[in-house]
Amino acid sequence: MKIQSSNQGDIQVLELSGELDYHSSPELREKLTELTAKQAPKILVNLGGVDYMDSSGIATFVEAFQKAKRYQGRLILAALTSTVRGVFEIAKLDSIFEITATVAEAVECLGAKT
Amino acid sequence: MEKRFELTASSEVLSPFRKELRHILNQAGWEKKSAEEILLAVDEALTNIIRHAYQGKSGKMAVTVGTSDDKIEIVLEDWGKKFDPTQVPSPELPRHKPGGLGVHFIRTIMDQMIYDDQDPEGNRLRLIKHRTKI
Repeated sequence: MKIQSSNQGDIQVLELSGELDYHSSPELREKLTELTAKQAPKILVNLGGVDYMDSSGIATFVEAFQKAKRYQGRLILAALTSTVRGVFEIAKLDSIFEITATVAEAVECLGAKT
Repeated sequence: MEKRFELTASSEVLSPFRKELRHILNQAGWEKKSAEEILLAVDEALTNIIRHAYQGKSGKMAVTVGTSDDKIEIVLEDWGKKFDPTQVPSPELPRHKPGGLGVHFIRTIMDQMIYDDQDPEGNRLRLIKHRTKI
């Protein structure tokens, strides 16, 4: 899996590609922990390039989501492929997370400030 | 058709194994959504072997994949510590804490999950999915 970090105004963007599983999820966990440790107020995870995800990936997002919530931060997951969306649906987590169809929609939701 | 894979119990083997299984599922004519779900269920079962049966220690695991016109049957074997996923309680959903979803995924996706508690050494788990739900 590849993780690219960038900023869009005050939004911290993580762009993921590849497969998110028990092997690769610790790397994502590390990146998200860095962001939540410094209390990043707006985190956008672009999942458009992720073609596979297992329960380890879900657990990583649940943990980051809970941490962000504690300091009133926001975490949005954007551009999920149908396979990844299906995993959220089986876990019944699609209604808990903020999920947007596109990255542009996520940026609009978060209201980027430069 | 039946094919057996012998794998090292390490997270590094998961992605290459999924590639092999995806190929078998495509060859057997499973449609994409079901194939991806079966991949997920088997992946979760292998992850449980690595995490719970071997607890990060080195070991072996074997996967036998049998396909026929009406079903797929996957047998997972390991020689680690006893771990019976059929005894794991179903989580309350949506789960607000990280973890605890792997067995739920296997139960939801597969038609049958059968643990062989007569196996004297290690664990043997059979996962079955029919093309049309029974």
